[in-house]
Amino acid sequence: MKEHPKETKRKTSFLSTLNAPCIELSGNRELLIEGSKGVLSYSADSVRVNTGGMIVNIAGRELDLRCISDSALIIDGFIMSLSFTV
Amino acid sequence: MLRGWVEFSVCGKYPERFINITSRHRVRLWKVRRSDDRFTACMYRSDYRRIRPLARGAGVRLKVMQKGGLPTLLYRYRERVGILIGACAFVLSIFVMSLFIWSVDITGLETVSRSEMNDVLRNHGLYIGAFKPLLDYQRLARDVMIERHEIGWMAVNVTGSYASVEIKEEAVPPEVDDVYSPCNVKARSDGVIVRIEAAEGETVVMEGSGVIEGQLIVSGIRTDEKGTHRLVHADARVMARTMRQASFSMKEQMKLLRPNAEEAERRELNFLGLRLPYRVGAVDSPNAVSNTTTEVPAPLGITLPIGVVTDHVSALSEEEIILDDNSAEELLAREAQLYEVFALQNCAIESREYHMEHNGGVYTLYATYTCVEDIAYTEPIGTDENTDLTPYVAPTENKK
Repeated sequence: MKEHPKETKRKTSFLSTLNAPCIELSGNRELLIEGSKGVLSYSADSVRVNTGGMIVNIAGRELDLRCISDSALIIDGFIMSLSFTV
Repeated sequence: MLRGWVEFSVCGKYPERFINITSRHRVRLWKVRRSDDRFTACMYRSDYRRIRPLARGAGVRLKVMQKGGLPTLLYRYRERVGILIGACAFVLSIFVMSLFIWSVDITGLETVSRSEMNDVLRNHGLYIGAFKPLLDYQRLARDVMIERHEIGWMAVNVTGSYASVEIKEEAVPPEVDDVYSPCNVKARSDGVIVRIEAAEGETVVMEGSGVIEGQLIVSGIRTDEKGTHRLVHADARVMARTMRQASFSMKEQMKLLRPNAEEAERRELNFLGLRLPYRVGAVDSPNAVSNTTTEVPAPLGITLPIGVVTDHVSALSEEEIILDDNSAEELLAREAQLYEVFALQNCAIESREYHMEHNGGVYTLYATYTCVEDIAYTEPIGTDENTDLTPYVAPTENKK
């Protein structure tokens, strides 16, 4: 039986949402990333976080990793920009 | 705090690698800060021991900067057993003390005295020092309400070791004056009528006339123009001038108890109702008066179960004195004043006369008062068929 093309597209989108990290930004002072796979680089000005499907680049000033667990991390500081490398 | 924490610095070629290793091993890091070629972070003390070999594998070096928490504290004071025992004893004493009632507060009392209520609560098991787990507050409130009928509602609330007893006394319905049953107004005592304020009934005595005790003043039987009798509830205020006499006696020789310089102080430590005396004093005199004060510390409004009871005892020595005329008159006049205040409080005293006699070593003061007072009292009229109503009928002037 042939699947309807629209239905296939919707299913794919849903699955990709499940794998995607959950990023929560509070103003420009705090960033929560759930579903991180590791910290690639860390300095007071930038942090790069691997989330599996992409890399999240956070640039700013006085960046601190407030809390790191096996799948989540919280970044504190003045966040100036947020970009993604896919 | 209980698990203990370690603040450490990480230096090496790839410190990020160390962060990833820790997160992969489910080790929580916090307060991660980068500075130059190293960064600092915090982790639990137990995790730090586990992570050291992994750090070596990641090519970084760890250096402990600071330690904190309970395990560190215990390790620091491991040689000082006394502190440990003291801390344990403190925690234990707090735990044990929290099992007892420290203070009992009663609110809502109006007619029942506080000491009486304290005794009732004590009989039912609620007192300072009572063992909390054995108390059934609802049953206690129910039992007290059954025992004391004047208590309409009661609740016992215990917050920590503080028991608050809220009481609502039962509302007593006011007495309803009987204004329907037929009655007469009579004189309570002998006197001369000054004024009669009759609200109902037939006045049978004129103002200015003298009456004797029990005499009819306002009749409860009204007679209309046709000569028909009707029974009413007579009500009147009868102000009459009365004479009152009283006598006060006092022996010439009197024994007085006067405080001398001998004093003593007794002190007791009151701990959960248990009194431990720590200062004992006594006076030689058989007569003494004592003044007891209780000091209970209440920091931040919390009444503690500990207090100091101070009993200040002053000795009294017995002296025999012989009164002269002036001092006897002065003392007896004071007694007469007290009599006026308490016994004649409902009378307006118009004049008073004192006469003192001294016979056989006894002074006697005779007082005669002229008062104006309400002498009315009501007496019900029997309404049986055989009752003779003739004495109650007011004499009519227009009798033919």
